[in-house]
Amino acid sequence: MIDAPSVGLLSLFLASILTSNVLLANFLGTCSFISISKDFKSSMGLGVAVTLVIGITAAVCWAVLYFIIQPLGIEYLSFIIFIIVIAGVVQMLEMIIDRFSPALYLALGIFLPLITVNCAVLGVILFMQIRKYSFPQAVIFGFGSGAGWWLAIMLLASIRKKLDSNNAIPAGLKGTGITLITIGFMAMAFVGFSGMIAVQ
Amino acid sequence: MSDTGKTSAPAKVSPAGKVMRDGLWYNNPIFVQVLGICSTLAVTNNLRNTLIMVLGVSFATSMGSMTLSALRELIPRKVRMIVQVLVLSFYVIIIDIVLRAYQPAISKQLGPYVGLIITNCILMGRAEAFAASNPPGLAFLDGLANGLGYGWVLLVIAIVREFFGFGSLFGFKLVGDWFTPWTIMVMAPSAFFLVAIALWIANNYKAKVAAAAKAAAPGAAGAPAGQGGKP
Amino acid sequence: MKLNRNSVIYAAVFTFVVCVAFVIILAIANQVTLARVNANKRLESRTAVLKAFGLADSTTPSSEIDSKYTQLVTEKSVEKATAYTATIDGQTYVAVKLTMPGLWGPITAVLATDPAGTVVRGFEIVDQQETPGLGGRISEPWFSAQFKGKKVLPDGTIAFEQGSGKGNFDPNNGTVDAITGASRTSDFVRALVNRSLALARQIGGTL
Repeated sequence: MIDAPSVGLLSLFLASILTSNVLLANFLGTCSFISISKDFKSSMGLGVAVTLVIGITAAVCWAVLYFIIQPLGIEYLSFIIFIIVIAGVVQMLEMIIDRFSPALYLALGIFLPLITVNCAVLGVILFMQIRKYSFPQAVIFGFGSGAGWWLAIMLLASIRKKLDSNNAIPAGLKGTGITLITIGFMAMAFVGFSGMIAVQ
Repeated sequence: MSDTGKTSAPAKVSPAGKVMRDGLWYNNPIFVQVLGICSTLAVTNNLRNTLIMVLGVSFATSMGSMTLSALRELIPRKVRMIVQVLVLSFYVIIIDIVLRAYQPAISKQLGPYVGLIITNCILMGRAEAFAASNPPGLAFLDGLANGLGYGWVLLVIAIVREFFGFGSLFGFKLVGDWFTPWTIMVMAPSAFFLVAIALWIANNYKAKVAAAAKAAAPGAAGAPAGQGGKP
Repeated sequence: MKLNRNSVIYAAVFTFVVCVAFVIILAIANQVTLARVNANKRLESRTAVLKAFGLADSTTPSSEIDSKYTQLVTEKSVEKATAYTATIDGQTYVAVKLTMPGLWGPITAVLATDPAGTVVRGFEIVDQQETPGLGGRISEPWFSAQFKGKKVLPDGTIAFEQGSGKGNFDPNNGTVDAITGASRTSDFVRALVNRSLALARQIGGTL
């Protein structure tokens, strides 16, 4: 992995949470983001689940990519393989959590299956593949992106709590419309972090 | 995945016509369901890339829906999700292979976003909501209509973003050097604003049409389309 | 259809059959297009080299690229990079294709110069993963156009500075405009350019 980008782990972590937030800069995971952020508690649950799943699948898929897919030369099948790995990791996580922490399972359980088709997970893995990250970089990038998504959905859920009781919003913008505008402003605010940590 | 049949197209038209009208307008994936913007919104700062992505999504949704509908009697319940994902990723990989072979430059620019078509909620949503209970021909049309209904909205957004962001359309410069490109249009926030504005216009137009219909025939007005709640 | 759709065996067999069928079709599709994909990659690299030498521009048809390339350019690989030489109007030029880390992923670029490495002939980005709209703008034509005919500074490097963002086209100042708002990407490109210059000088010295 001679060509792995030389960005340091800490700045990669901060960049993936703030400046290159997987949701606000790359639009990944928007669907569940909009529908779940209506409810603060669910946002918390889904945020935790997404962070865990992205972090773990990034590590597993990195191993699958460099120890199975590349040696066999079957890059053209990588989409299917990644999706199967994601589904498998989600299933296993579900079983492990159920076994060791039934309370956590009750809280997270319904969100886990949704994550298999969450674009953020596959997106992070495809970025990892294209950018040729080393193993530590892949793991940090995975957890960082998950944490960024989590942070974004918590912020949005808090804002929406106030928004939904506001009657000044034009009828045509109520609900999804104003949510999208809010996300737009959040995205602008996050771009503002760029100067702070000197990563673009 | 809850929008099955909750459409509001006029009931008089043929099933095929109804499916097309629903996908393109009455139950438009973006305006009504706000689905699937994840994978394509990112490339809407370039009209050509958007066109390719939209065609890709339409192809995968229509072919995937048709295949899943043809197999619907055979698919075991237990592995339904896995089979759906398999079939849909099959078509997405076909798109990827074709792009790499015949449009290498575009393939490179789209990067991971071609693969992300797999997780586009529209694909799974249509497979689950429509293809699972309708014949292949109709499922194909439904997929196509939804893909295109989603597509035209994104193309409009792409036209605005590329014009103001680069001063060009399809890469052809349309304005002189005096024009200072709006960097905000190239970057992410503008896409969210533009989708919201499009949604606003569509909602207002729909409200106007509904009000007119109500005035013309009290009691027989079409109910506003429900919010699809698929995450 | 009276098969027992709920049995585990049926589910397993069904999934297996679907998988095998699709994988076979995809493998065939991949094989069929493999030659084309490789030809595309070669063409892309050759186009970049010819552009850096100033022998082609974006309007040159792909059929001409291959013939021109085989006629005019010789290539050889040197440690982790590829070196190219071409004789244009009786003068020999050297080009280097090099891949170095960028902010988000590797950046690959071709830089052509005279054998002494004193005047840049041309510069082309082949591949990059930088942020669209910010660092990604290194792929825009104005950025590489700045390097055309640029005189290298006495210390053997090209300097980057925060400029107007429209490009610095004075051939004698040895300085180009960095990308506004993408200082890290600009740093990586500067490292790439100056490393390529050093390599080109090394190769030019052995001619």
